[in-house]
Amino acid sequence: MVIVPATTGQMGVLPGHVATIAELKPGVLSVHEGNETTKYFVSSGFVFIHANSFADIIAVEAVPLDQIDANLVQKGLVEFTQKLSSATTDLEKAEAQIGIDVHSALNSALTG
Amino acid sequence: MAMAALRREGGRFAPLIYPRPITAFRSSPLPPILENEGPVGVRYISTQVVRNRMKSVKNIQKITKAMKMVAASKLRAIQTKAENSRGLWQPFTALLGDLPSADVKKNVVVTISSDKGLCGGINSTSVKISKGLHKLNSGPEKETKYVILGEKAKAQLIRDSKKDIELIITELQKNPLNYTQVSVLADEILKNVEFDALRIVFNKFHSVVSFVPTVSTVLSPEVVEKEAESGGKLGDLDSYEVEGGETKGEILQNLAEFQFSCVMFNAVLENACSEQGARMSAMDSSSRNAGDMLDRLTLTYNRTRQASITTELIEIISGASALEG
Repeated sequence: MVIVPATTGQMGVLPGHVATIAELKPGVLSVHEGNETTKYFVSSGFVFIHANSFADIIAVEAVPLDQIDANLVQKGLVEFTQKLSSATTDLEKAEAQIGIDVHSALNSALTG
Repeated sequence: MAMAALRREGGRFAPLIYPRPITAFRSSPLPPILENEGPVGVRYISTQVVRNRMKSVKNIQKITKAMKMVAASKLRAIQTKAENSRGLWQPFTALLGDLPSADVKKNVVVTISSDKGLCGGINSTSVKISKGLHKLNSGPEKETKYVILGEKAKAQLIRDSKKDIELIITELQKNPLNYTQVSVLADEILKNVEFDALRIVFNKFHSVVSFVPTVSTVLSPEVVEKEAESGGKLGDLDSYEVEGGETKGEILQNLAEFQFSCVMFNAVLENACSEQGARMSAMDSSSRNAGDMLDRLTLTYNRTRQASITTELIEIISGASALEG
């Protein structure tokens, strides 16, 4: 079973799932094989679930959770919050908001 | 004694050489041996020209061998990246298929080529295919534009298709290739160029000796919808539930853009591998040719040298026998 962080929330995928195309938001992807679970942080991407019980997950960046540095996450979060408050154009605001979303997702991935 | 000294100084004393007609027993196509009239009225044969030629051919051989080694090491580095990136576009093709036959109004041909030369014929084949696509997709209400990556394709396409070129991007490989760089590039192309179908022309790397020119097609979301409705390969697309987003169209738009950047990433890497592989084989054949040339020149050099020694001996002996009797 695989739990993917879709834009509509955490989605669990089991064999026999209906064919779906879903967009991903920054979050934790966990792969459960038997009793083992491997967790990855995914920055964003897509998941295609095919009718023959095959799922393809395409992510822009995916990192195993144990390779994430908590200090850098905090620093990044602070930096982007600052950028958001000093942003003038819509583009800058959007970019800063994306940065905040990704870093807070990283934060909750590390703690939760 | 004096003769030998004169011969050695030959290159400096004699006025600059002019080739005399070739003698009967010489069969090589190389420049004829030189006979000079020295200041004392003595004739001697100079091996200088052949020696210079040998030196330059040997240098060329060294240079091309070194270039082959460099290309081999660069190929090793980039090959693993290219093979890993293949997994990036395969899910898209599994879902959306690759439809080169899609008939659309606005075609954009993205030609990927190298910046540096000496890599065999790969850039020419890419340009030939791009031109072929242009011709194939021409007709009433249809237009084809070019987006060019790399100096070599730019040089070839700018001559006759200048008005059809939308965007030119060069110096792609200044920094090692990575996804961020390519996604920025893809973003630029998507923003500035209107398209219904993007056809990416590149050389796919199969092995060190085989590079196949390939065309990958990425369709815009509207065309995808149209093809899905008309059935055929994309007919099952409708059976997929689309989660999230306001409309299906929005998701498909994001999908198409992501697909384009993934396919571009893979295409750029494969083309870079093909470039290094082609350069390896071009430099290899070049050093082999230089070696063959060197062998032939050595034979000529030896013949020349032996002929001049024989001449000297003959003159000494005939001079001595004249004195005796």
